[in-house]
Amino acid sequence: MSSQTPMELLKGTLDVLILKTLSQGPLHGYGVSRWLRETTREAFQVEEGALYPALRRLEKRGFLTSRWEESETGRQAKFYRLTTAGEAELARSVQSWHDYVEVMGRVLGGART
Amino acid sequence: MSSLEGPREKGRVFGLDVREDVDREIRTHLEMRARELEEAGWEPAAAREEARRLFGSVEEVSRTCRDITRSQMRAERRSGMLEALWQDAKYGFRTLLKAPEFALVATLTLGLGIGANTAIFSVVDGVLLEPLPYQDPGALVWLQERNTRGGGMSVAWANFQDWHRENESFQGLTAFYSSSTTILGGEEPVTRTVAFMTEDFWSVFRVPPAQGRLTLAADHGNDRPPVAVVSHRFWQNVLGGGPLDAVLLEVAGDRHPVVGVAPPGFDFPSGTDVWIPLSEESQSASRSSHNFNVVGRLADGVELERAHAEMETLTLQLVEGSDDDPDFLATGVVTATLQDRLVGGSRRALYLLLGAAGLVLLVACTNLASTLLARGATRTRELAVRASLGAPRGRIIRQLLTENVILAGAGALVGVGFAAAVVRVLKRLGPASVPRLDQVSVDASVLAFAGAIALLTVLAFGLLPARRLSRTDFTAALREGDRGNATGGRSLTWRLLVGGEVALALLLLAGSGLVVRSFQQLLQEDAGFHAADVTTLTVSLSQLRYETPADHAAWYREYIQAAEALPGVERAGFISAFPVQGFVPNGRLELDNDPDKHAVGLYLLASGGAFEALDIPLLQGRTFDDRDGPDGLHVAVVSRSFAETYWPGEDPIGKTVSGGGMDNFWNQDVYSTVIGVVDEVRFQSLEREPEPTVYFHYLQRPFRARWSGRMVVEAASGDPAALTPALRSTLQRLDPDVPPRIEPLPGLVQDSVAPQRFTVLLLGGFALLSLFLAAAGIYSVVSYQVAQRTREMGIRLALGGEPSAVRGLVMKEAMAVVGVGLAAGLAGVILGGSVIRALLYGVEPSDPVSLGGAALLLAGAALAASWVPALRSTRVDPVITMRAE
Repeated sequence: MSSQTPMELLKGTLDVLILKTLSQGPLHGYGVSRWLRETTREAFQVEEGALYPALRRLEKRGFLTSRWEESETGRQAKFYRLTTAGEAELARSVQSWHDYVEVMGRVLGGART
Repeated sequence: MSSLEGPREKGRVFGLDVREDVDREIRTHLEMRARELEEAGWEPAAAREEARRLFGSVEEVSRTCRDITRSQMRAERRSGMLEALWQDAKYGFRTLLKAPEFALVATLTLGLGIGANTAIFSVVDGVLLEPLPYQDPGALVWLQERNTRGGGMSVAWANFQDWHRENESFQGLTAFYSSSTTILGGEEPVTRTVAFMTEDFWSVFRVPPAQGRLTLAADHGNDRPPVAVVSHRFWQNVLGGGPLDAVLLEVAGDRHPVVGVAPPGFDFPSGTDVWIPLSEESQSASRSSHNFNVVGRLADGVELERAHAEMETLTLQLVEGSDDDPDFLATGVVTATLQDRLVGGSRRALYLLLGAAGLVLLVACTNLASTLLARGATRTRELAVRASLGAPRGRIIRQLLTENVILAGAGALVGVGFAAAVVRVLKRLGPASVPRLDQVSVDASVLAFAGAIALLTVLAFGLLPARRLSRTDFTAALREGDRGNATGGRSLTWRLLVGGEVALALLLLAGSGLVVRSFQQLLQEDAGFHAADVTTLTVSLSQLRYETPADHAAWYREYIQAAEALPGVERAGFISAFPVQGFVPNGRLELDNDPDKHAVGLYLLASGGAFEALDIPLLQGRTFDDRDGPDGLHVAVVSRSFAETYWPGEDPIGKTVSGGGMDNFWNQDVYSTVIGVVDEVRFQSLEREPEPTVYFHYLQRPFRARWSGRMVVEAASGDPAALTPALRSTLQRLDPDVPPRIEPLPGLVQDSVAPQRFTVLLLGGFALLSLFLAAAGIYSVVSYQVAQRTREMGIRLALGGEPSAVRGLVMKEAMAVVGVGLAAGLAGVILGGSVIRALLYGVEPSDPVSLGGAALLLAGAALAASWVPALRSTRVDPVITMRAE
């Protein structure tokens, strides 16, 4: 347990984070998990295993494809990559996330003053 | 568009099963994570432990992942199958379109076969099999007395009363008779069928009233106030559908308030519009005066056989010791379910038609089989190529299956349309004597049945090429190529199919030829009168305003005189029954002033004008004229067969005859003197031999004139219909309350043979259909054979063979098979002739004209059907033909 209590990950945001991660190039599950940990500085409390069902769900929806390939360390790993549909989904999600944040910020920010 | 790339099999990802795929992915993660921790300074064991902890439940994640991926694979398989199906269908349509001749023949063959069957079976089902629309209709029984000849006859009132009182088999038993009568009291005078019935009538049929009430026990019996129940259509059309309170119908000499309306569609006895309680007191006590129809409802749990046995015993007890003439007493009973009685008359013809439709379906299936086989053979090479290019056999079979299902579907569509059209035509052309024809509709279950048979044929024969493909190896099929010679088993199958088809078609053609010929015979039959220039009038006078039979007869005399004064009228006369229409009283007559000297014959009333209007030839003496009046000497004219039967070798002129029991009491002791002999006339029907007949003078014995006012009028111009307006206005002038019913006699004669014409039309249609199908079948098979042997033909032509000789070769082979089929068909007709005998008139089942004609027609069609492809076989350039290999 870290000293500071990590935030609960909002429902559905994991998907956006995965899509965002993969938008930089194909990556295996562990790579995605590590990248997420590092970029969020472990701000989110999420079991690492939860990533895998999410990956497969995205794959099922046609946003990702997967393939077993040799990793940078020379061992076999399952690599995921974004499809065109996945890119579109990412763009759509980012937009709606910004809209959401803006509205919430306006409302909550206004309430504070 | 698969999101998982690479080789893919059922349930597997990259050759791994889903569990392995998931577990390996998780294992990889755990190992990589542990290594990261180790690099951060953890002990290897602790690092592995920590990696697991951070991961969460391996088991749960693994399971969820497996579920997701499996459901994804299922969805992909489904859409893959749909896509493959769509591909197959597209390919199927394309191949069929590339062989339009085949597709057209197959679809039409299927459609016509399915359609004909569905239509006829729908009619059979609706007319014969569908239960009557009454509650528990199986319990309704039609009862008659049995006559000395074993047939059924109407029931005597005295017997009915005893039946009703003493039987234990029936919960209700009703007697009734019906007659066509003028009814006054509606918006205008009309002539309608009125049924007079006893009190159980409504409880036997168990129908509820649509309005008001039906008649009750209290309405029946002596001295009850008259009441009437009317049919729903009468209420709507004649009474205007309004309240019943004010309606008084004048029927048969009484004014009847209408107390209720029968439910819509209730139509028993057929055509009845008014039901009136029977007057019981005026009925004859004789057990030999047969006037009533009887219907009963069986008591619960009683079978028809038991009821029959009881009524048989009862009846024999009743007539024992009766003083009546034993010739006219019951010898037992005749029973039948009401349904059998009502539809029985149409049964034979309908089953014959059903059989014919079945034959058409057989011909269609045979045709289809040979067409499919021929096509399958030409496709062997194509399929072999596809197979050798790696198409799996399952895939090829699925392709063939799809193609055949498309064919069957198209055929079924054509069939539905055809069936609907045929049913519509049948309903329009069908004779009124086929009961319930108006209620017939296309039956879905029959359609499904015929469709299933056709589908089975299509599948059985359409998939044969696939089976052959699995037997022979592809390379052999490829090497053989077009040269695949048509010898051996395959050719035998074709010979059987084509021969069988020809035989079946001949059965149909010959059968319908026989029926057509007997119909011609029937129409050419000399019925003893000349109908072409005669029109008929049927009149029913008010029983209230014309009280006595003599009043009625006098009115007819007045009308006849007025009619003969009209311009364009040659002659007019009274006759109590029109020729070939039936309904002539037939019974015991007495001869030579001796009540014990009996004759049996038809009883008619006539005036002298009737003989002349109908051109009935006078053989001896004279017919009635102005000398014979109501008060003069009673006179009669007899038919030749009557004179020959009862006064053989004697001069009939001057002999005497009376109507016996068929006259009323006053007349039955008065003998009429025979003044003339006329030639035979068929009164019962065109097909029934004329019966001995006595014509009495209508003014002298007017008793029956009261019920059957009929007149014939001969047109001078030869066009009887032209007289109708003048005759109608004369009727209006003499009595505006008489509804005119004027029908030219030729139409009535035509209508009397409507059932036969109906059968002839349908059978003829089926026969033509099978002729067409057989020709199409022969054409497609011969075409195929020719195509198969193109190379052989080419060689023959190249070696100097005469084209005509080569054509002859093709034709000879085809016609040999057709000839065998014809022979088999002829044998079938002769063996099966008895089936059709009952429907024939004046023609033997082995009639050489019908059989020979059918065989010639079919042989001609076969010749034409094989001539076209034979011609094609020699039209090609031999060099091109041989190079085509």
